[in-house]
Amino acid sequence: MKTALITGITGQDGSYLAEFLLEKEYRVYGLIRRNNTINFERIAHIQNRIEFIQGDLLDQNSLVEALKISNPDEVYNLAGTSFIPACFDQPILAAESTAIGVTRLLEAIWTTKPDTKFYQSSSSEMFRGAIEVPQNENTPLSPQNHYGIAKAYAHWVTLFYRQNYNLFAASGICYNHESPHRGIEFLPRKVSDGVAKIKLGEAKHLTLGNLEARRDWGFAGDYVKAMWLMLQQDRPDTFIIATGLVHSVRDLVEIAFNYVGLDYRDYVISDPKYFRPDNKILLVGDYSKAYNILGWKPEVTFPKLIEMMVKADLERNGKAQT
Amino acid sequence: MKRALITGITGQDGSYLAELLIDKGYEVYGIIRRSSSFNTARIDHLYQDPHEWGVRLKLIYGDLNDSSSLNKIIQKVQPDEIYNLGAQSHVRVSFDIPEYTAEVTGLGTVRLLEAIRETGVKTKFYQASSSELFGKAKEIPQNENTPFYPRSPYAAAKAYAYYITVNYREAYNFFACNGILFNHESPRRGETFVTRKITKAVARIKYGLQDKLYLGNLEAKRDWGYARDYVGAMWLTLQQEEPDDYVIATGESHTVREFLEEAFGYLDMDWNDFVEIDPKYLRPTEVDLLLGDSSKARKKLRWEPKVTFKELVKMMVDHDLEEMGKQVFGTGTPANGRREKKIPILQTV
Repeated sequence: MKTALITGITGQDGSYLAEFLLEKEYRVYGLIRRNNTINFERIAHIQNRIEFIQGDLLDQNSLVEALKISNPDEVYNLAGTSFIPACFDQPILAAESTAIGVTRLLEAIWTTKPDTKFYQSSSSEMFRGAIEVPQNENTPLSPQNHYGIAKAYAHWVTLFYRQNYNLFAASGICYNHESPHRGIEFLPRKVSDGVAKIKLGEAKHLTLGNLEARRDWGFAGDYVKAMWLMLQQDRPDTFIIATGLVHSVRDLVEIAFNYVGLDYRDYVISDPKYFRPDNKILLVGDYSKAYNILGWKPEVTFPKLIEMMVKADLERNGKAQT
Repeated sequence: MKRALITGITGQDGSYLAELLIDKGYEVYGIIRRSSSFNTARIDHLYQDPHEWGVRLKLIYGDLNDSSSLNKIIQKVQPDEIYNLGAQSHVRVSFDIPEYTAEVTGLGTVRLLEAIRETGVKTKFYQASSSELFGKAKEIPQNENTPFYPRSPYAAAKAYAYYITVNYREAYNFFACNGILFNHESPRRGETFVTRKITKAVARIKYGLQDKLYLGNLEAKRDWGYARDYVGAMWLTLQQEEPDDYVIATGESHTVREFLEEAFGYLDMDWNDFVEIDPKYLRPTEVDLLLGDSSKARKKLRWEPKVTFKELVKMMVDHDLEEMGKQVFGTGTPANGRREKKIPILQTV
């Protein structure tokens, strides 16, 4: 039986990855941050099958200890400050967890169990200022905010341990990925939740920013499979994980409202206050390397993804209503 | 309108203090840690969407590990009073993450004090000190003059925070105070703390959802009060003419075993049938007996605890029974026992 240690297990990707690995009969350990409020809502259905270790990416020895306790074959680093506006509010903490946290983890692996395979969750935000479309594994990094900069550091330090310490350290550059487990502060979930509330009569309208903004949106459940595949290869590498397709916010709201039989134009307010400076170029990923080497491709289409999210929020809000 | 800034607002004390201050007409700002999961369950009932209401509770992302965030927040909020309740507050867990505990619980305090100095904002400062400072207590009961003997990474970090607060009072003339609070509990206590762990288990056992309860040291003796009573003392501490330090306690102590007797006995059950000892919950170094002498606070602040030990246990068991009942009988309440409320929309600095 293989053993995996997951950081960020209480988050969206952590919950899908834990589910996926449990199905593959892994023994799953989750590193959890101390929190006075119970925050297992995404993993409540599998929490009895996960072994939790108290630790923190800001605490070096807790990571060494976690490796000693779990003795893992694979470590998946999904933790970090993942919400970009929060990184602006607390840039130093974001760098501590998202950037330096990775060095701490790699050091812990290197000194404790160097044959552990390591997966680093990198992000398309590292390409924010890129000038080529679509982006691939050879596109130069050009991060433009605290989050992207921290992720770029983490990506590079992962490569460094791969090349200089011979660690099996893989990096997956994931584009936006969503699901019913997505945090409500992220746009697609804000939309699916808003649509459900409107449908159930709990809200009257939905305020958004620029409806013409476009993103490469995939399904988180598909993306965690790519993470796993990267650690089943003969050698560590870097892969773009994306759908290769872009959709506008307008497409998103249209699909979401259509699903419940409503016309988005009656409910959506586009407030310039929420406009973010637009990118020079489009962030869209070319996943052909992942397709060729890992045999991976996205399974859930964009409309199916949005419908899945609205359906889940209808159930969630409906339940709270009774 | 007075403005207060609270760290640790999502915790037990933070939620009661926010209620108290809003009742008193304050505008309350809470610093919350970024988390991808919900961590505002204890204050959701106070929260209203700022788009719809001119509300008096505002939440801001920030972190005691990030001094830049603290400087920006204090500059922006210009509070009259700051209550530092944020910490890694679990003693047993502090042995697992000592470095992190020192950062947040210890250094976090000096980051706040420095932010006040740096921004020059005129504000009073309350530091949540802890009876754990007395640790292996030098005398019984403990008062403001009892020497400290911290016995955990948590208590060592709290000792630093205590002294640095006193230092800023003496060095820079800050209105900075320590409240040395003995254990205080409530239905909102975190579920990994022994009292709440017990009352929750009692409810689950009653409903047949659990048949064993694993605990650590049953002989540990604590002075347990009610959190809502204690936040009143925090506020009073900052309303005095002069800044000072106060012990806040009931003056009565009970063992974990007595807590068990009371909690199980309330539902006519015998705890011996359910409780087992798991060494995993033992602390590497234990604090045996904590008993507070709060006569200074009683005299100067005219503060006294209202809820007795018995009432406290009963209140917690009743609450957990009710929550568990909702789950069991499926009244549509989600697993955490609370209805999902409006999601806080956060201010950015």
